[in-house]
Amino acid sequence: MELFQNLIFGFGVAFSLQNLLYCLIGCLVGTLIGVLPGIGPMATIAMLLPLTYNVPPVAAMIMLAGIYYGAMYGGSTTSILVNLPGETASVITCIDGYQMARQGRAGVALAIAAFGSFFAGTVCTLIVALFGPPLANMALNFGSPEYFSLMMMGLVTAAVLAQGDMLKSLAMVVVGLLLGIVGSDVDSGIKRFCFGFYELADGIGFVIIAVGVFAVGEIISNLSDPEERVVFTSKVGSLYPSREDIRQATPPILRGTALGAFLGILPGTTPSIATFASYMIEKKVARDPARFGRGAIEGVAGPEAANNADAQCKFIPMLTLGIPASGTMALMLGALMIHGITPGPGVMNQKPDLFWGLIASMWIGNLMLVILNLPLIGMWVSLLKVPYRMLFPAIMVFSAIGIYSTNNASFDVYIAGMFGVLGIAWRLLGCSPVPMLLGFVLGPMMEENLRRALQVSEGDPSVFITRPISLAFIVVSLLILAVMTLPAVKKRRGEITG
Amino acid sequence: MKRELRSNKDFWAGMMLIAIGLGAMIIAREYRFGSTLRMGPGFFPVILGAILVLFGLAVVAVGLRSGEKIQGHLSLRALILLPVSLALFGALMELAGFVPALAALVFVSAAAGREFKFVEVLLLMVLLTVASIALFIWGLGLPYPLIKGI
Amino acid sequence: MERKEARLRWIVCILLIYSLALAVPATSGYAADAYPSRPVRLIIPWPPGGSNDLVGRQIAAKLSERLGKQVVVDNRGGAGGVIGTEAAAKAEPDGYTLMIAAAHHTVYAPLNDKLPFDPLKSFTPVARLGSGPNVLVVHPGVPANSVKELIALAKAKPGQLIFVSSGVGGSLHMGAELFKITADIDYKIVQFKGGGPAMTDLLGGHSQGFICSLIAAQPHIKSGKLKALGTGGRKRSAILPDVPTIAEAGLPGYETINWWGILAPAGTPAPVVARLDGEIKAILAEDEVKKRFLKDGVEVDYLGPAEFGKFLERETANWTRVVKKAHITLEK
Repeated sequence: MELFQNLIFGFGVAFSLQNLLYCLIGCLVGTLIGVLPGIGPMATIAMLLPLTYNVPPVAAMIMLAGIYYGAMYGGSTTSILVNLPGETASVITCIDGYQMARQGRAGVALAIAAFGSFFAGTVCTLIVALFGPPLANMALNFGSPEYFSLMMMGLVTAAVLAQGDMLKSLAMVVVGLLLGIVGSDVDSGIKRFCFGFYELADGIGFVIIAVGVFAVGEIISNLSDPEERVVFTSKVGSLYPSREDIRQATPPILRGTALGAFLGILPGTTPSIATFASYMIEKKVARDPARFGRGAIEGVAGPEAANNADAQCKFIPMLTLGIPASGTMALMLGALMIHGITPGPGVMNQKPDLFWGLIASMWIGNLMLVILNLPLIGMWVSLLKVPYRMLFPAIMVFSAIGIYSTNNASFDVYIAGMFGVLGIAWRLLGCSPVPMLLGFVLGPMMEENLRRALQVSEGDPSVFITRPISLAFIVVSLLILAVMTLPAVKKRRGEITG
Repeated sequence: MKRELRSNKDFWAGMMLIAIGLGAMIIAREYRFGSTLRMGPGFFPVILGAILVLFGLAVVAVGLRSGEKIQGHLSLRALILLPVSLALFGALMELAGFVPALAALVFVSAAAGREFKFVEVLLLMVLLTVASIALFIWGLGLPYPLIKGI
Repeated sequence: MERKEARLRWIVCILLIYSLALAVPATSGYAADAYPSRPVRLIIPWPPGGSNDLVGRQIAAKLSERLGKQVVVDNRGGAGGVIGTEAAAKAEPDGYTLMIAAAHHTVYAPLNDKLPFDPLKSFTPVARLGSGPNVLVVHPGVPANSVKELIALAKAKPGQLIFVSSGVGGSLHMGAELFKITADIDYKIVQFKGGGPAMTDLLGGHSQGFICSLIAAQPHIKSGKLKALGTGGRKRSAILPDVPTIAEAGLPGYETINWWGILAPAGTPAPVVARLDGEIKAILAEDEVKKRFLKDGVEVDYLGPAEFGKFLERETANWTRVVKKAHITLEK
């Protein structure tokens, strides 16, 4: 049992007083910045990086990692409580988490989010320890055609799972795809839909749209309602999930973990894709999909688990191949190199204390976050007893500072205000913003990978079916389409015979 | 058969989609379209715009048939004041610094509410400003001048 | 009645805040008798993270110590540096706004005709801090073990090799175009959003070559996942002493490096520039700084204001020539 020995060795490293302390600091700072929109782990780690020069490398990495997944935990808190996505990946949590909060079930939502995250974190820590290197090599097989087919599968699933007004949902996906085009074209460098604003050259930030549509839009909507004076039910209800809640939340957590782990290993995906995918799957398998968007606990449990699993598994390509799968991971890589450690397959042998210590501390960090967060749930929930007329200016303050601080740009704040107006318009017209966000996330990656794949193949579209992984995704997409049309066919037949 | 179009929900939703789609197509005409072999920067936006126009037409058709009305209320005051408060925040961050920007943001956004109690808002403004300074400027070390020029 | 009064009160109050807000900046125009008398802002025209940001933050920390006033880092990312650079160009030339510039600064002008600033005329050079060579790497599956063999391979299969690049018009893209022109060969250049995804594609063997920063490629060269054929500096790099420069390996005159320097808005008083230059020169002489820079792939490579200015002009002219010859246009 070499793995056991290694893990015990790792825990030995991580349990030193110094490393525990750095882990705690990292988790605390991470939770804090996770709660605030805009300021993400990336900016924070960049700011703290110089401080780690004088800290031993293991402790430094443990602290930075703590910030990273602390932010993932913290991001869900404001999403659930006030519909303010603190972190890119927690946008999906807004949908059902916030509705749960309005029904007086904020405590349950927070607890399930924490449990789901912790479970996913535990599983993925093991995955990193057990299968890191082979999985990382598998991920390298993903080229442009594979990524395109994967995105395609995502869009097909989205189309299939669009409920309620399917036509409008699909249209909103296209709106999102178009919004995703704004900015410099990767292939030609030309600035599309920028209207002469250099500020738009990098595209519109996901957090800007999400905060605009969800946080600002929600406030306008709440203030517009002449009758409903109480936004949150005054009775807070049980803080902890009932047995029924746990029963309902368990399968989504398992599925979310698996999904997040898979997508997390691929360097070309973002955590928001994992959360979207998990949400869509939960909605599809649910017995009563209509509950989604109205406070379904599965809609919190699945995406939260997926988010954390994705975040954790992003360490695999970074530690074993030296490939940073996200901006934050690039910074961590930088931190390693500042300490003279070259990430890659050798890191496990050259620096076992670092590798196993970091892995052990991931789990300790996750445990710390649950311990930190559970007692805080009562405090967070009591925040909702603040009268709404005082709460909403505070939400505005956090939104504004968060957005401004991302690029230190006023322009971003103006855009967020615009999206607040758009958000309320969409709401009145019955157009859901969630499919729009999905299109926004997938669109640029789809276009980029499609064009790149065709450029490399000299315009030959057969690359998508001659490469096995790509083919697999396309087959799955077709299967999903078939499964979707089947019930419709069945239903019609039922009508005829009945 | 004349239906009230002014409050027809799907009619307006479709119109919005058509407007976005057409807008995208018109602007994207300036970008090279390319071919399926070597797509130019205009390829995706033009195709997507066209699809969106089709969707929009379909939604309009649905709207004309069902005649569903727009539901829910809209407070013009909130609709105008909240974006304005954000705009003020952005402008004052550049012109005057962190404290005036926050003060304006809290004040104007609070004015968008149903009740406006002067003393309460003043207290809230002070509280939020102090808390933000402690959290963002001292805690996270963001490099914003509290009041410009001082 | 009461409501009206309340409304009046808040209108008055907002007006008060505005007048305060507008009055404050108006009083801030006083001249500095002893520079610096207040914090100095160092604009980094990129988001946090990455070597540009690291260089900027380190120099800011050191300058704060020496100037006795805080040098505050202000990340203004966006549009490949244009936004932050514009902010610096339009700032008051009083020595209280400085900017970190990198290799990209000399590529703006040849590529964009509608820049909101002039990369040369809008700035006063203060000092160059350091430089780092780029490196030509290929996937180990490519049957070429030297620059000459790679050129021969490309000549045998014109347009078939695929080079990845981290963004149109970036200095690395320019390096790849220059390589094409100098060696008189043809290969495809496929663009990615940033160096990370480009590197991943290359490591997976989906493409063949990449001219990238040495520091980014170093771990993969060490682990044998990439072959380094040549470095882009005039001298061999201290980090990879066994690898020849591209110029000595068969492509004389070829050079692709990244560099970092400090610029101030045009019109910044000469005494202020001299003071800053002096402090920077002293900072760069410190062993500790040299070591830290090297860990980020930056070799200290100081140039004073006059030489740095000449260097900027030379580089701009050089890249203008490459852009024209390679027919690179950012369409519209």
